[in-house]
This record gives sequence, C-alpha cells and structure tokens, in this order.
Amino acid sequence: MVTVLGIESTAHTFGVGIVNSQGKILANVMKIYKPSVGGIHPREASQHHAAKAAEAVAEAFQTAGIKPSDIDAVAFSQGPGMGPCLRTGATVARTLSLALRKPLIGVNHGVAHIEIGKLVTNCGDPVVLYVAGGNTMVVALVEKKYRILGETLDIAAGNCLDAFGISAGIGPMPAAEIYAKQGSKIYDIPYRVNGMDVSFSGLLTASEKLLKSGVPLGDVCLSLTETVYSMLTEVTERALAMTAKSSLLLVGGLARSKRLCEMLNTMCVDRGASLHVVPDQYAGDNGAMIAWTGLLMYGCKQFINVDESFVKPRMRVDEVEVCWSP
Amino acid sequence: MESLNFVEKKVIRVGAEAVIKEAFWKNHRIIVKHRVPKRYREESIDLRVRKSRTIHEAKMLIHLSENGIPVPLVYFIDPVECVIYMQYIEGLELRNHPGAVERAKRLGNIVGEMHGLDVCHGDLTLANIIADENQGVWVVDFGLSGFNADLEEKAIDVHLLERSAASTFPTQTKKFFENFLKSYSETTGRDAAKEVLEKVKEIRSRGRYVAR
Ligand SMILES: Nc1ncnc2c1ncn2[C@@H]1O[C@H](COP(=O)(O)OP(=O)(O)O)[C@@H](O)[C@H]1O
Ligand SMILES: [Mg+2]
Repeated sequence: MVTVLGIESTAHTFGVGIVNSQGKILANVMKIYKPSVGGIHPREASQHHAAKAAEAVAEAFQTAGIKPSDIDAVAFSQGPGMGPCLRTGATVARTLSLALRKPLIGVNHGVAHIEIGKLVTNCGDPVVLYVAGGNTMVVALVEKKYRILGETLDIAAGNCLDAFGISAGIGPMPAAEIYAKQGSKIYDIPYRVNGMDVSFSGLLTASEKLLKSGVPLGDVCLSLTETVYSMLTEVTERALAMTAKSSLLLVGGLARSKRLCEMLNTMCVDRGASLHVVPDQYAGDNGAMIAWTGLLMYGCKQFINVDESFVKPRMRVDEVEVCWSP
Repeated sequence: MESLNFVEKKVIRVGAEAVIKEAFWKNHRIIVKHRVPKRYREESIDLRVRKSRTIHEAKMLIHLSENGIPVPLVYFIDPVECVIYMQYIEGLELRNHPGAVERAKRLGNIVGEMHGLDVCHGDLTLANIIADENQGVWVVDFGLSGFNADLEEKAIDVHLLERSAASTFPTQTKKFFENFLKSYSETTGRDAAKEVLEKVKEIRSRGRYVAR
C-alpha cells in the first residue's frame, strides 16, 4: 500500500490531504484565508498559509492516524496559481520531503481537480467542465493528455461572479446566486461564445452598468448568473457533441452552484448523456486532490528533484503527461 | 414557407446547436439548418441567442458568397423558427477526411481571404470544414462569425483551428498547421500573418488568474 501526502496552496486555501492507493481519503484538512475587504491579496494569503502550515500538517497526520514516516511521497500543487501562495506550499513540501527522505511530486492543480472528481464520482471517460474562481475550461482526455477543448479568453467564470458580488457590496459567490432568486426580469447582457471558448469581462462590465443605472440588484444577479451558466452549458454541449462522449464531469468551486448543475443536467438529459458532479467537500481547492493525483503520478515515478521544484504560476493542464491513464 | 413545397427528408446531423436536415425543393437537394430551442436556457435568452445567430449567419453567408469564398449559397431564411435553407455541399467533414493534412493548404488560402475581408469565423473547427471530391474545401456554420474582425478575433480563429486539429489527430497536427500557415501567409502577406501568430501566442498564455 502506498500513502501520499498532498499540499494545496494555489490561492485562498491551504490544504493538506492524505490518500492511500485504495483511493481512501484519510485526511483532508483546509485552512482558508478570508480577505478583510475586497478580493484576494496574494501576499497576505501566502502569509496566512505560512502561519497555518505546521498546524495543518500536524492535524492531517492526527486525523489519518499515521506517523509522518508512514507516507511514501510528498506532493504539492506546482501551478497554476498565485506565485506567493504557490511558493509557500512548495516550501512546506520540500521541507517535508527532505526531512522524511521521501520523493517529491509536483502536481498540476487543474489535473488534480479532475482526478479527484473521477475518483469520487466513478464517471468513466468524461468531458470535464472545470469551473472555479481562477479557471474555466472544458477538457477531455485524448492520447494521454487533458486537451483543452475550450476555455475562457479573459477572466474565469467564478472570478466574474465574485467580482460582481464584491463591487455590488454583497460579497463573492454564492451571493450573486442567492440574490438572483429575488430577480424576475432578465436583461440583455453580452452573451459571448467563440466556438468552445467563452469570455466574461464584457458581461461583468455590462452588469455593473445595469446596477448603476438603477436596475434592481435581484434582476441584475438573475441576468448575470443565467447568462454565465447558459454560456458554460452551451460550450459544454458543443464539447460533448464534438468528442461524442456521453459522460460529463463537473469539477471546481462552481460545482457547488445548484442552478449550474440544474442547467447542465437538463442539457445532459436532452442529449442522453450522464452528469457527474464532484461533491461539495472536494469541489473547492483541497489537499486530498493533490495527494490523490500525487499517488497516480507515484505509480509512474513522476518525481522531481528538490532543486528543480520551481513553481509554475501559469502551468497548463495539457502540459501534463497522463501516464496513469489506461 | 410551407407554400414553397419542401419535401423534408431525413435528419443528417444533430449538431450542438442545430438539427441539420436534407430536403428537396423541386427535386433540388438542399440543407435545412434549424436552430432548435434549448430547454436548459431561460426562454428569453434562448430566443435572443437563436434568432440573432440565424439572421447573422444568413447575412454572413451571403456576404461571403458575393466575395467568392466557398460557403453554401443561402436560398431562404425563416427568422421566426430560426431556420436557414441553403446549398447542400457534398463531401466529408475535415475531421473525418483521410486527406485532411493535404487540404490544409487550400484551407489556408480560404481563411486568409476571409480574414482579408475582415471576417472572422468564430468557431473554426474541423467539423465546420467540408472537403469535397474535387480537392475543394468549403466552410460552414457562421453563427458565431464577425464582421470588422480585429487582430484578436482572427488570432482566435487560428488558435481554435490548431486546437481542434490537436484534439482530433494529435500526431499530425504539426504538419497540418504548417501546411495551413504556409498558404495562409501567402494569401494575407507575411507581415499580417506574423502579427496574427504573435497574437495567437499571447492568447495561449492567457486565461487563468487574470486579475481585474
Ligand atoms: N450546407 C451544408 N452542406 C453539407 N453539410 C452541411 C451543411 N451545413 C452543415 N452541414 C453538416 O452539418 C454539420 C452541423 O452543421 P453546423 O452548421 O456546423 O451546425 P452546428 O452549429 O450545430 O455545429 C456540419 O458539421 C456539417 O457536417
Ligand atoms: Mg458546426
């Protein structure tokens, strides 16, 4: 039996997970940085992570009921993400790897979101919609790589909804979705789809303008969320049509959105496809997903040397050789 | 439209947004492209999207036909039901065509000419390109296209095409794209092509953690 510890530290969450080769998640500890005002400040977040790291690691070992020497490798999220946050996680991982004399594994954060979704939903070989605060993409596994079929050409879907909520004074998601329930009228805001790509910045600006012009907050939230989710569902349907796959996996923080799930489900029912949604506790950033992907990489010995373990803030999911795929 | 006496025949393709049927009008074989309602979308958004794309696609097809770009001729438009009746192109989608890499040369000329007219396609994937039996290449599906395309939109076309090739036949992508680019830059001129390629690189590196 192989056991891997994984460290997540790309944005607001410092997470430590421990997973074994039976796919059992032994620990999944999260310490979440909450900015006092506005959006996330990378340097403040990284200071939060550094302050919480020792405590989180100790808690993970305790929850798992194992000793540090029982693990076989240390994995960390190498990118994409915010430089200062990534460096904090990497430093903790290197220290553990050296102290315990266990190999180090650099994990792609996006691939980890996908792999944990596959582990817990049992979805076969799906098209994946990965939507979160910092990422929006539609991918599918083709010849041992997660190929990007579509992505955002500017800001991420989660970023768009969070930014609107913050500027409207209601805070980040799920605020916009909650206020949307009070809305009744849908306004025309830019619906921008390019093939399987989307773009959200025009829609964000238009929503802010609507609000300033006196349109009720509920109506703006309804127009915004309905438009964003419709665009995401449309490009996902295109990807299903193009790849001729019949399974869809939804992962990332926005998987918690009830309305997005509902739309995707309607689309899947109409196409005869099946929808699989990652459960809430593994939707947001977490350490278990890094540990599990590290474990898959352990199987094909994808290790890195400590002195070459640089973080990659702009790493792409299609850089990773998915050596563990059948 | 009913009075025009179409003989509708079989559904030949159910695309992501449209149902494509083969039909006959006075024994002439035509394509009927119906943008069907999507239940997942709220009604007003759904109608707005379908209607605007139908009208827009028809306008663009007519514009491109007049400028000698190989696209289906438009016969009739039904903007209420969101239907376009158009020329039937005999052939195979490029993604299923064994000679795709070779046809990339012709495709480069066509996309180059289109970009020369400041038109972008908006969904330039191998499913929207048809190769006929006479070495010809045709482009379809202009619902997401744009007039007055800027550098970014042209670059997105090139980016989408390459990505579509990469996810369809990863091992031949390089040769396909080389063939495409050679004739593309012959048509647009070296400098214009270079500018587009620079932009493609920039687009590729974007898209995550873009702070606002
Ligand atoms: N004029 C045409 N002649 C022949 N085949 C066509 C024509 N128009 C569309 N098709 C076929 O139908 C498919 C779907 O049509 P398309 O216009 O691309 O709709 P969608 O938006 O659903 O992708 C195309 O990929 C092509 O194979
Ligand atoms: Mg098409």
